Amino acid sequence: MVATHTTQQVAPELTMRSDDHLLEVNHLKMYFPITQGLFSRVVGYTKAADDVNFYIRKGETLGLVGESGCGKTTVGRCIVRAYEPTSGEILYRDPDGGVTDLAALEGKEIQPYRKDIRMIFQDPYSSLNPRMTVFQVISEALRVNNLASGSEMRDRVEYLLQRVGLRPEYIQRYPHAFSGGERQRIGIARSLVTNPKLVVCDEAVSGLDVSIRAQILNLLEELQDDFDLTYLFISHDLSVIRHICDRVVVMYVGKIVEVASGLDVYVDPKHPYTEALMSSVPVSNPRARDKGTRILLEGEVADPSNPPSGCYFHPRCRYAQQLCREQAPPLKDLGNEHYSACHFAEELSLAGVRMV
Amino acid sequence: MEHTANDTLDFHETTEESLKLEVASQWQLMWWKFRKHKLAVISGIIVILFYVVALFCEFFSPTVPTTYLDVYATAPPQRLRLFLDGKWFPHVTGYRGERDPVSFRKTWEIDYSTYIPVGLFVHGDPYKLWGLIPGDLHLIGPKNPGDPFYLMGADMIGRDVFGRLIYSSRISLTVGLVGMVISLSFGILLGGISGLVGGAVDNIIQRIIEILMSIPTLPVWLSLAAVVPIDWPALRVYFMISIILSLISWTGMARVVRSKFLALREEDFVMAAMLDGCSRGRLIMRHMLPSFLSHIIASITLWIPGLILGETALSFLGLGLRPPVVSWGVMLQDTQKVAVIARYPWLLAPGGAVFIIVLTLNFLGDGLRDAADPY
Amino acid sequence: MADNRVLLEVRDLKVHFFTDEGVVKAVDGVDLTIESGKTLCLVGESGCGKSVACRAFLGIVQRPGRIVSGEILFHPDGNGATIDIAAMDPKGAEIRQIRGREISMIFQEPMTSLSPMYTVGNQIIENIVLHTRDSKEIARERTIQLLDQVGIPRPDRLVDEYPFRLSGGMRQRAMIAMALSCNPTMLIADEPTTALDVTTQAQIIDLILDLQHEYGMAVLFITHDLGVVAELADDVAVMYLGKVVERAPVDTIFNDPKHPYTQSLLRSIPKIAMRREELDPIKGMVPNPFRRPDGCTFHPRCPKAMEVCRHVVPSVTQLDPNHLVRCLLYESQEGRPDESAPAGRN
Repeated sequence: MVATHTTQQVAPELTMRSDDHLLEVNHLKMYFPITQGLFSRVVGYTKAADDVNFYIRKGETLGLVGESGCGKTTVGRCIVRAYEPTSGEILYRDPDGGVTDLAALEGKEIQPYRKDIRMIFQDPYSSLNPRMTVFQVISEALRVNNLASGSEMRDRVEYLLQRVGLRPEYIQRYPHAFSGGERQRIGIARSLVTNPKLVVCDEAVSGLDVSIRAQILNLLEELQDDFDLTYLFISHDLSVIRHICDRVVVMYVGKIVEVASGLDVYVDPKHPYTEALMSSVPVSNPRARDKGTRILLEGEVADPSNPPSGCYFHPRCRYAQQLCREQAPPLKDLGNEHYSACHFAEELSLAGVRMV
Repeated sequence: MEHTANDTLDFHETTEESLKLEVASQWQLMWWKFRKHKLAVISGIIVILFYVVALFCEFFSPTVPTTYLDVYATAPPQRLRLFLDGKWFPHVTGYRGERDPVSFRKTWEIDYSTYIPVGLFVHGDPYKLWGLIPGDLHLIGPKNPGDPFYLMGADMIGRDVFGRLIYSSRISLTVGLVGMVISLSFGILLGGISGLVGGAVDNIIQRIIEILMSIPTLPVWLSLAAVVPIDWPALRVYFMISIILSLISWTGMARVVRSKFLALREEDFVMAAMLDGCSRGRLIMRHMLPSFLSHIIASITLWIPGLILGETALSFLGLGLRPPVVSWGVMLQDTQKVAVIARYPWLLAPGGAVFIIVLTLNFLGDGLRDAADPY
Repeated sequence: MADNRVLLEVRDLKVHFFTDEGVVKAVDGVDLTIESGKTLCLVGESGCGKSVACRAFLGIVQRPGRIVSGEILFHPDGNGATIDIAAMDPKGAEIRQIRGREISMIFQEPMTSLSPMYTVGNQIIENIVLHTRDSKEIARERTIQLLDQVGIPRPDRLVDEYPFRLSGGMRQRAMIAMALSCNPTMLIADEPTTALDVTTQAQIIDLILDLQHEYGMAVLFITHDLGVVAELADDVAVMYLGKVVERAPVDTIFNDPKHPYTQSLLRSIPKIAMRREELDPIKGMVPNPFRRPDGCTFHPRCPKAMEVCRHVVPSVTQLDPNHLVRCLLYESQEGRPDESAPAGRN
């Protein structure tokens, strides 16, 4: 245990459910206040993340999928502590074995963990400061954390540039000299410069063209092996999630509806929302057009500041019953690491993604 | 997996020209963009000239502002001629004054028989540069000290309008600058706090700004200027006027700074820097401020004209600076009567100076604003 | 479904942008035919000129862009009348008769074409009145009917709402209702589902297909998403750097693509039905618009590039009646059946 991590001394009894978990998120809540009027009176809360529970194993890629406004980005930002969670635990295992609750850290206490948990942003244009050179952008984390300086720092940056497929000579150029795909490579180099353990990829390939997206996905997989990385991969693109993730968490209106292995969630979904999501994915083969019927959801995504009663999905669910309107379903363990927040998860036989 | 690493490299073709662009910093890009804006470049040169003249006004002026020759009161402008009988002989012609027997008005006629030789770097009225270094060298002036030399005519008591115009530029151009520095610091400080801290503090600052902005400016200036004691030394009045001018105008800057901070706070690159572990101070100084420094410079340029006009207006009304201090507004006090303007139109020369500097500053500011965000 | 006569014929269309830094040949010799009642998907990566091309079909290319050459022949009805849109004054009265009435367009972000100042109903009613000269009451009836048809709940109330009160999917529906208000013979949809979530995207795609069945209009659908293409296209045109490199029926494009770019594009997308095979990306990136490669513009990224590709601009080869490809690999086999093809001119 590192002596500088003071919180560990305060709460040394923190443990995780399994030894191979790198991160555990327990009952995470992130509420944003809604204010009104001249004096910003709080009139309600947007429950962007509402009692979220999941874990990430060391070395795996966990996908976090859902439609816009489901809270997936909020969860990611809580984990990197860009936000201060309203309540809940984010347990993180240090490289030396100690367990820390990141959600409980305040102010400067977070600093040592910033280098372990890094983030790759969606927009390769807005995430690089146009007024800083590639070197300044990538080395900033080394500089402010006093991890390296002088030629050591330069070597590290040049090495990383090379690893992400850019020439080390580009080090003095400004971001405007690069295309979207190259900028995303710079963003990846920045996140890896501190030798992180966990990287949160927030829609990291969503802004890229198909051919470039494939390059970046391959690069991320290659780097995962070489640098022993664990990814939390946030995306709305189910094909990308399918390609890169070992396990998948599906979110709807701030809650987790289903957790399963990458295959199960696609072929054997246990939640009606996942089923609808899977049937909506355009399959890139015209011969799949007539295979199975597409489930077209009625109505709109619920408002996270004013969600419906019971199961949030019930107004749009074609299997909804009286129980669903009255009681919020818990996240049930269905065995084989498959979890579903549906009252009828065991009874329903749901269709997966359309296959050719 | 070699291919991802190597094949990409071959496609980033770099020519010498593109390399120049790719390693160009923000300021270089801005300069390249600004350069294309011809009107702004010309205006920039004129503005610089104005400020150089203001800085060395003792040298550029042919006289000192207190010199007067009442025999030449209200003498019209002379024309500077460079040749006499085809030979290089810079000179102005003399005057012959007559008094109209009916109206007792003095009328002037050009006396073609007297030539007043004019030279560069001549010795004339002694002065102290910036009140410190004594000297008597003038850029231009009559070769024989004491000869009448009125390129822009003389005023009611025979002082050289051209010389006084040059001396006034020092006061008139800097009263804006000093005021600007004050409002800028106010604006950045309060706007920064408002944008960064947010919440109740932001609310209070915003309400204060709204209240200040809803007060009509001219009456406030007038009443504040009116309470400046009449027996204060000129320098103190000058600073007082600067402060009065800036008291109101910082609100605009505060709003600009606040909105910039609010917008930047949401930028991904600022969040990325925060996640890099940057302290709050570093976040502001290194990552946020450089992003809108150029905008601030541009808005300053668009803003000085307002302060120059403010000083001119106050002094013209007799509520700003007072003689013996010379500013464009003070000089324009003489033209409060229509009859004066009709008879001695050259007394309006300071108005022309105000016009040129305000116009060029606006052109320059426009150019800077367009170039401020080169990305 | 309507008979498959040619509705729009584009011949050698070139749209160039004249910027300070040089000329960008955004569209550089595009040939297309769109048949009535069919859906043509125009696919390509960003910067390939697909959006610019379809803007040209409506005469709404933004400055500094200009149609430099080519014909856009529009055959509005079966009696052989032909209008060349490329030759029309983009601000003239004639083109306004076509725009919004014969050919409508929907955009990626509906807010760019719905004014925030007017209610949804107001804007659709105005469009109907402008083009049909019906009375306001009739137009309002028709608007409510249209909103109902595009799946907007309680259309009689929504007709008086402002666009910002609607969700993204609802806005796109309102936009489609507006586009359909004058029974267009052709609908141009520029990435209409890109900004939407998958479940909403599925709804909109279904809606467009349904409406097409009902009205028999031709749809030109622009997208970069090959999944969407597979869902709704009859025919596909693949664009790369301002040129159509391959055009074929959708099944051929996905199961028997000929152009190396189409092949690579298909290999580079992750497939939902399979996992963890390594993706096969196209190497490199789209070149700088001011410095396009000589010869075939795809040759630096092409896995099958030959020496000749560096210098020779490929022309269009017709592999079978419906399958056109612009690649030197096939030119030798076929000779040059399409001598009139414009390739190689520039």
